[in-house]
Amino acid sequence: MGVEIIFKIAIIGILIAIVSQVLKQVGKEEIATLTSLAGLIVVLVMIVDMISELFSTVGEMFYLF
Amino acid sequence: MVEILKIIGLALITTISVIILKQQKPEIAVIVGVAGSVLIFFYLVDMISDVFGLFETVVSKTNIDSELFIVLIKIIGIGYITEFSANICSDSGNSAIASKIILAGKLTIFLLSVPIIISLIELIVGLLQ
Repeated sequence: MGVEIIFKIAIIGILIAIVSQVLKQVGKEEIATLTSLAGLIVVLVMIVDMISELFSTVGEMFYLF
Repeated sequence: MVEILKIIGLALITTISVIILKQQKPEIAVIVGVAGSVLIFFYLVDMISDVFGLFETVVSKTNIDSELFIVLIKIIGIGYITEFSANICSDSGNSAIASKIILAGKLTIFLLSVPIIISLIELIVGLLQ
C-alpha cells in the first residue's frame, strides 16, 4: 500500500493509450477498443479492491458496522 | 512530522499523474485520483486512532456515558466518507451526484443524532418541572 499503486495504474493507462493508437494505425479498430476495455477492467479490479479495503477500515475504525 | 511530507508528496504525484492521463484516458485519470485519496487515508489511519484514544481518555475522565461518544465517532466517520465520495464525484465533473451524496450523508447523520436530541429535550423538560 504505497506510491507504487499509483504508478502502476498510471503506467497501465499510458500503455493502453499507446497500444490502442498503434492498433488504430494498423487498422484493427475493434481490437483497439477491446484492449482499452480490457485495460480499464484491470484497473477497475485494482481500485475496487482498494475501495473495499478502505470501507472495511473506515467501518471498523468509526464503529459504523 | 515526516508523515505530512509523505502525504504531500503522494498528493503531488497523484495530481501530476491525473493531469498526464486526462487527455488520453479520462476514466483512468479519475481512478488514479481515487487511488491517491484512498492511499492518503491509509497514511492517516494511525493518526486518527491516536486522536480517538485522546478523546476516549477525556470522555472516561468526565462521566459522560460512552454512548454519546460512540455516536459522535459514527457521525465523524459518515461525514468523512460522504465528503470523500462527494469530492471525487465533483472532481470528475458530475456535481449533481455529489450533491445527492451530501444530502444522503446529512440525512444519515440526522437520523443518528435524533436519540441524542430526544434525550436532551427530556433532560430540559425534567429540569423545567
